[in-house]
Amino acid sequence: MAYFLQLLITGISIGSIYALAALGFVLIYKSSRVINFAQGELIAIGAFIIYALTVWVHIPIWISLVITILISYFIGLGIERTFLRPMIGQPIISVIMVTIGLANLLSGLVFFTPFGTLPARYPDFLPDPIRFGGLIIKWEQIVGILITTIFITILMWFFTKSTLGISMRAVADDQMASLSVGVSVKKVFALAWATAAMSAAAAGFVVGSLFGLEFGSLTAIGLRVFPVVVLGGLDSIAGAVIGGIIIGVLEQLATGYLDGIVPGGGTGDVFPFVVLIIILLIKPYGLFGTVEIERV
Amino acid sequence: MAINRWIQSGNYRRSYKEDQTIFATFSEQASLIVFLIFLALVPHMPFMNRQLFRVVDLAFIYTIAVMGLNIVTGYAGQINIGQAAFMGVGAYAAVTITRDIATPLFQFGKTLPFWYIIILLPLSGLVAALVGAFVGLPSYRLKHLYLAIATLAFQIIFTWGVGHSPFLNQGGSIRIARLDFFGTVIKGSKTIGPFFYYFALIVLIIMAIAMRNILRSKYGRALIAVRDNDRAADAMGINPGLTKVYAFAISGFFAGVAGAIFALYNGSVIVESFSLSTSIDFLAMAIVGGLGTMVGSLIGPSFMLFLDPFVEKFSGFAQTIFPSTIDVATAMRPTIFGLIIVLFLIYEPRGLANWWRLLRQYFWRWPFKY
Repeated sequence: MAYFLQLLITGISIGSIYALAALGFVLIYKSSRVINFAQGELIAIGAFIIYALTVWVHIPIWISLVITILISYFIGLGIERTFLRPMIGQPIISVIMVTIGLANLLSGLVFFTPFGTLPARYPDFLPDPIRFGGLIIKWEQIVGILITTIFITILMWFFTKSTLGISMRAVADDQMASLSVGVSVKKVFALAWATAAMSAAAAGFVVGSLFGLEFGSLTAIGLRVFPVVVLGGLDSIAGAVIGGIIIGVLEQLATGYLDGIVPGGGTGDVFPFVVLIIILLIKPYGLFGTVEIERV
Repeated sequence: MAINRWIQSGNYRRSYKEDQTIFATFSEQASLIVFLIFLALVPHMPFMNRQLFRVVDLAFIYTIAVMGLNIVTGYAGQINIGQAAFMGVGAYAAVTITRDIATPLFQFGKTLPFWYIIILLPLSGLVAALVGAFVGLPSYRLKHLYLAIATLAFQIIFTWGVGHSPFLNQGGSIRIARLDFFGTVIKGSKTIGPFFYYFALIVLIIMAIAMRNILRSKYGRALIAVRDNDRAADAMGINPGLTKVYAFAISGFFAGVAGAIFALYNGSVIVESFSLSTSIDFLAMAIVGGLGTMVGSLIGPSFMLFLDPFVEKFSGFAQTIFPSTIDVATAMRPTIFGLIIVLFLIYEPRGLANWWRLLRQYFWRWPFKY
């Protein structure tokens, strides 16, 4: 039972990372219908900037987290401005392929920096794990859940109260109609990318402090976003959160119980994708996604 | 009005039947024949060496896979990030069928007879086509581009699954016997290069003819209709879901055949040849060549593969500038390929095929501007 609870707790904490990473993805999808394949690279870049600020510039890690989130805002804006803005009016399929190219480009650029091969860790900044009965809860996990909660609360406030948030929802709903009432769709797209980069950086921080900064495993989180959003529904923020936690828990349970059976182990890496294919086959719009009803 | 069948300055097709013809003019036909003769002579040229043979042979094999990708992505409008995995399915099908079924059944020795290869290629293609149809199955109910995610998932599951099955040697190298071409054993770089040049070229031509004919048939036009407006296509009696599933199956078939040739060419298969980055390379090749054009899928792979050695040379040069802790070679390739994908999509979404078209039109109209 303690084993199961341990897996459950780890799963929830990892799931909250996925939820954080998926938030940005969902925002981009909601506002522009673009599937962002570069989310993993954004996560990695965020994590690396935090490392550079903390270890090389000697800024306390919490302040560098805040600074990095600010920098990521501009990275997101910059990416939208250079790569996505010229694609407005092009078919969505080309825009999605641009994000694939972008992912390639960003990962190539990362390899030009020492981070491509550097197996670094953040300096220890949290106290020892809490031991409770047979369970071990790391502070990093608690921090991860907290950051996710904070992000979601801010986003919820943003979408229900602020004018910009409401205009983002309007664009997600109907681009033509929102254009005609004076919403700047370009601004909304830029903001979606900026928010995506910000939440990716926060996710990168948590992943980095839990598992260390290895480029491959950081981008792997970006791929893990896909099962999450397919399960939750591509255009649902609540779906991203719930899907994230479900996928995180499933992944941990698979690692905990199936690895002994499967030769070579590593079931946690593939199980979410099996879930993805099954969901696509039986419930293609996910748990909370909007089912498309077309009237001609 | 009599039409000059040799030189035309525009499109003079007047009936649907004429519109369906492959060649507009005799000169197109003639230039294609000249080009094919040139291709047939290339292996005898003095400048052909081992590296060049490898590049050209790989270009032919990849072209077959990219043609399949182009059917799904260019014509059916579905992104496929798992083409390398479909190719891998074909390659592993070829290897395991040979190892576990054909060798015990026909008592093959150290070499495989040529007639067996003729059967093996379509068989591996069929296996990959079945897998392709399965992966494409969600498109039966889904609209939009969700399917890109399914193909990505398939790519990941494939790599993991092969890496974890003892049956496939945990993704490590599995050997396949060399060919026996009517008495000549294809072994060693002297014979492998030229033999697979002709072999892959002939398969490529057959597949290209097949693709051309699929695309000008009722089914090919259904693909384009679904891509352009699936609701209108539905209203006209085309089943969009089924059409997309077929497209995935056909694409899988192309990839499977390419994979089988790839396995025979290398004499072994290893899972690293069919990674996610290879899939993205295929996508890059299709984009650079020009999505939704036949010519594009023929130009793109060659362009990218001929570019590869230059990138390598350039990164060797750039290594002298960077500190030795940074491996420029691993950094340069994704950077340049990613940049090429992005730049082509932004500035020339119709790819090199469009340049080819403009060039041809320039000569058609010469000496007039338009």
